[in-house]
Amino acid sequence: MRAACKPQASTVLWLALILPELPLQVLVRGLTDPGLLAITESQPRPLVIAATPAARNRGIEIGQGVSSALAVIPELNLRPRTPAAERALVHEVATWAGAFASRISLDPPDCVLLEVAASLRLFGGLAALQQTLHAGLLQQGLLVHSACAPTPLAARWFARNQAACPQATEGTCATDWRAHLDALPLDVLADGSAVSPASLELLAGIGLRTLGEIRALPAAGLARRQAQAVTDTLSRAYGDTPDLRPEYAPPVNYLVQLGLLHPTIHTEPLLFAARRLFAGLASWLAARHAGIDHCRLSLLHERGPDTVLDILTGTPSRDEARLNLLARERIAALRLSSPVEELRLETHGPRPLAARSNDLFGDSATERENATLLLDRLRARLGAGQVRQLSTFPDQRPEHAWRSMPFGEQSASPLLHVEPSVGAPRPLWLLPQARPLSHPASLCLVRGPERIEQGWWDGHDIRRDYYVASTSNDALWWIYRELVPRGDWYVQGYFG
Amino acid sequence: MSTASALAALPAGLVWQGRTFAHQAGPVLPTGHAALDAELPGGGWPGTAMTELLGDQPGVGELSLLLPLLCRPASSRWQVWIAPPRIPYAPALRMAGVDLASLLLITAPAAAEALWATRQALASASCSVVLAWLPQVDSAGLRRLQLAAEEGATPLFLFRPLAAARQPSPAPLRLALSAQGRALRIDLLKRRGPLAHAPVLLPLHAGSL
Repeated sequence: MRAACKPQASTVLWLALILPELPLQVLVRGLTDPGLLAITESQPRPLVIAATPAARNRGIEIGQGVSSALAVIPELNLRPRTPAAERALVHEVATWAGAFASRISLDPPDCVLLEVAASLRLFGGLAALQQTLHAGLLQQGLLVHSACAPTPLAARWFARNQAACPQATEGTCATDWRAHLDALPLDVLADGSAVSPASLELLAGIGLRTLGEIRALPAAGLARRQAQAVTDTLSRAYGDTPDLRPEYAPPVNYLVQLGLLHPTIHTEPLLFAARRLFAGLASWLAARHAGIDHCRLSLLHERGPDTVLDILTGTPSRDEARLNLLARERIAALRLSSPVEELRLETHGPRPLAARSNDLFGDSATERENATLLLDRLRARLGAGQVRQLSTFPDQRPEHAWRSMPFGEQSASPLLHVEPSVGAPRPLWLLPQARPLSHPASLCLVRGPERIEQGWWDGHDIRRDYYVASTSNDALWWIYRELVPRGDWYVQGYFG
Repeated sequence: MSTASALAALPAGLVWQGRTFAHQAGPVLPTGHAALDAELPGGGWPGTAMTELLGDQPGVGELSLLLPLLCRPASSRWQVWIAPPRIPYAPALRMAGVDLASLLLITAPAAAEALWATRQALASASCSVVLAWLPQVDSAGLRRLQLAAEEGATPLFLFRPLAAARQPSPAPLRLALSAQGRALRIDLLKRRGPLAHAPVLLPLHAGSL
């Protein structure tokens, strides 16, 4: 028996990720402190189906009626279950997990299956991989149970029963996984299979408690008692018949939404929630070996148009920290008038981006990346118009001989460069507006005049004599005298 | 054993004598002015620290002093000017040999934003030099700037009014700039070394006038 299952264990290994209390996790993942919250569902009478630890400590029980729950805690926050958001979350987890496994399969309602046999070496073994998965999901605010087995059903059941029989989840990839499976309680059969409650009742009625006891029964007898589904399920779980799973294909464009339980206009809760979204995005990009140069974070309000933040990274990137930083700058600069109910992160057109290998000598790539990151951050917080570059412009008039434009824009005439006449002094500081001199006599002319007579063609013609003058404090100024009308003195720059 | 020979027997760096320069930690950038280099610990600008340049008057040569440093070629590194009080005149910079393509000009509206931008530029470790004009920065802000300069290993030149000389500062080098007879007069207010008695005079504009 052991020898027979060993080769199978080494070729296929399924890892099941189960999101316990999925209806609750959907709502609380974006919150630092969910408080007293319970999820209800009408079956058909409204019942509590999940509750936060805080609420449970105060006496809320799963399966309780809504009215009795409210009797226990009057201020209890009750929310109806949101199946659509739950489905989206399972998809999000599957998309995220694409970075860790080559084959992903959804196992509704709350389970994602990863075929990890091929990934074990890359991630340093099963324990390390599981740790990475748990830590990564925790960063997105998600708690999971995980377990491994050579068949998907067994993996799922082990993960589901993690709390009930922890010894079953530890050595599940070992050769005696079937023995652990034998020890699982009877009612796991209904999980993820076609076994009807009536069959379970029948089995429990004849005194069976574990899967092992069912396996010991004659299969023909079970089939005669309309329990064909039981034998089918068991043979798939034990690997006697193949269990084929449809492969999950991650979406081409990334789009996730995260509802906020408490609508807010404050920065910190929004940033907290946004971090959850970027963690998923980074992993989705890693799975596709891609990077993005822009993504759109929309803040959805109850009324009024959405607040849309376009986050530009300059160069394709899948660096989560970088995206977080840029989002922080944008969100911190926002002045929100109405509370945000939901966050939506979407991105289109990821570009291929190979993983960067570490450079043995120096790290010029890191330096270049830092340089672009600095630009991104400055532009994100100060606005693109505040980060500028200077260039010269071919014009003899001093105030027109330079240009300043936002970074990334080309100057109007980059081809032509006219050098100022050789030897003519130009100051390092220019005043935005030439200032009239009230006491020109206090200055001492050091050099000049340099006559600049230009611009008759565009209406800004000047006729000036420029001098370098020294003040009583020995500072050097660039001053000029207007020739028409004759006599007025101005200071236009300083020789800094 | 005389005091001098006893001191000489000690390992270097254990005892600092008042008349010698402290050992300059980190790289040093030559100023391009021999007279000034001779007065600075290590023989140049501190490469990973903040240097304060104090002065009230524009036009004494405060930028010309840094031109040799600004003209050094530094590929893919920014040269950031933060909140200059006037327009850095592009034709003059080009004539002096400054690479305008690597020059970033940050025109920050508020003092807090300018301080933030300075820290970002320093911390990113992607700038060859950062020039900042922050007239009103408190001691905590100065300390943060000095730390950021150390962490990012980026030289910062902080331009402040002369009145700031009374405010204590963590900068290892503080110079007061003024003009004296068409030369730039540099009073060394603070350096890691002996007290400076005479100012340094640099005739920066002598060539062009």
